[in-house]
Amino acid sequence: MRWLKEVLMNLRRSRFMSLISIGTIVLTVITLGGYFIISEGLNYTINKIQQKVEIVAFLKDGLNQTAVDSILNDVKGFAGIEDVKIVSKDQAYQDFMQDPEMQHIMKGFDGNPLPDSVVIKLKDYTRENINKTVRYLDTKEGIEDIQYGGGEIENLINIMNAVKMILGIAGMIFLISSILVVSNIIKLTIYARRQDIYVFKMVGASQSYIRMPFIMEGIIHGLIGGAIGWVLIYAVVNVMINEIRKQTGVDLSTFYLFTPEYFNVKFMLSMLGAGTGLGFIGALFSQGRLFR
Amino acid sequence: MIKFNHVYKIYERDIKALDDVSFEVNKGEFVFITGASGAGKSTIFNLLYREETADMGTVLVDDNDIAHLSGGKIPFYRRKIGFVFQDFKLLFDRSVYENIGLPLTVSGASDEFVQRVVKEAIKKIGLSEREKLDPWHLSGGEKQKVAIARAMILNPPVILADEPTGNLDDESSWQIMSMFEELNQKGTTVIVASHNKEIVSKMSKRVIRLEKGRVVADALA
Repeated sequence: MRWLKEVLMNLRRSRFMSLISIGTIVLTVITLGGYFIISEGLNYTINKIQQKVEIVAFLKDGLNQTAVDSILNDVKGFAGIEDVKIVSKDQAYQDFMQDPEMQHIMKGFDGNPLPDSVVIKLKDYTRENINKTVRYLDTKEGIEDIQYGGGEIENLINIMNAVKMILGIAGMIFLISSILVVSNIIKLTIYARRQDIYVFKMVGASQSYIRMPFIMEGIIHGLIGGAIGWVLIYAVVNVMINEIRKQTGVDLSTFYLFTPEYFNVKFMLSMLGAGTGLGFIGALFSQGRLFR
Repeated sequence: MIKFNHVYKIYERDIKALDDVSFEVNKGEFVFITGASGAGKSTIFNLLYREETADMGTVLVDDNDIAHLSGGKIPFYRRKIGFVFQDFKLLFDRSVYENIGLPLTVSGASDEFVQRVVKEAIKKIGLSEREKLDPWHLSGGEKQKVAIARAMILNPPVILADEPTGNLDDESSWQIMSMFEELNQKGTTVIVASHNKEIVSKMSKRVIRLEKGRVVADALA
């Protein structure tokens, strides 16, 4: 445990520098952890929205059952289709009548003005897939009109991807600056201790013996930074979950990321690992000419 | 034991720190290296520490060209040489005990062994009362005694001392020189760089005199 003594000595001697190094690591792991949480949250949301989005093909009035079945079978056989179901005009009418506002509108009509429709879910909501399916439906006899929220969904996905990209870039910048800060702070420590290092060399200390305390110092900075980062994210997430629960009644703690098994164990270990890795890489970069 | 064979060391702007230096030091000898500042004394020591290598010529220690030592072997080579410096080069945030035990600690000796050997060494230099103090609390002479005890803790066959009395008063200087004399009588090869003419002449040892990087005299004082 010789290195532990050396590390503690260094920490004591350069308290302020150590704090800067640890602080930078805290910022970095928080950014990386935040990026991960937001990115997973966005993916989850995109997925949920996609599951709700459907293409609706309204059928011409007066089609016989054979024609309807034929359309249904053809669409089912088309590539990229997840699910197809027929919604009869009666069922559509009943659905509409559940909404008081729609009830009011429907009263203005004589009888049921709604057509039969085919509701289609796609496997993958890319622009290409949506357009291909819509073009195909357009060619079908018996289809009067097609409605889909493709443009809006795509815009939403684009915005979410842009947010993810910005966060990713911020994460990378923090990552690089944190490695630079840690390595430079350890370089300063090494510089301040150059006389001692010279003595160690002269009495026959091996390279690894001299380097080890500085590497361990980086790792310990990383470990402390990772732990503080996790505690802060933990606090923020818990406040956020409680607030959202209070305001909207939505319980985010069921989302896999925020379950205790994931957030308290896997996520914490990842944060500690990321911090330690950062400290280790920073310390490695700090090793220079002085040791030779 | 130590052989400089036509050694040249040239720094930037063609400054010849050593210019065709050749000499031999046999096992058990006591040698002074003298000369003005910049004459090349420290360069000879730097080559022997293997802090630097010669630009031309060879430095042999026990018939081995130390320029060819790999990075991994240098620490083991240095453990066979005791170094003493003018400015002591003690670690001021460690106790006298820890300073003297440093060569043992870095070579992986057990705590029990370190304790036994270091206590004995501290007793020899008469600082048992002060072993827990850090070097700030010692006089110049005491600091140099600690440095010599540290240099000798692994019983190296050679001791290199670079101006060991440069920062000391006369009394302490003679105490230090008598420690070297005693070590030499027990068989240790001692090489001392010094420009203290009084000490060099009174000690009556072999003197290698350097001027502008060249050996200009090599004889008994």
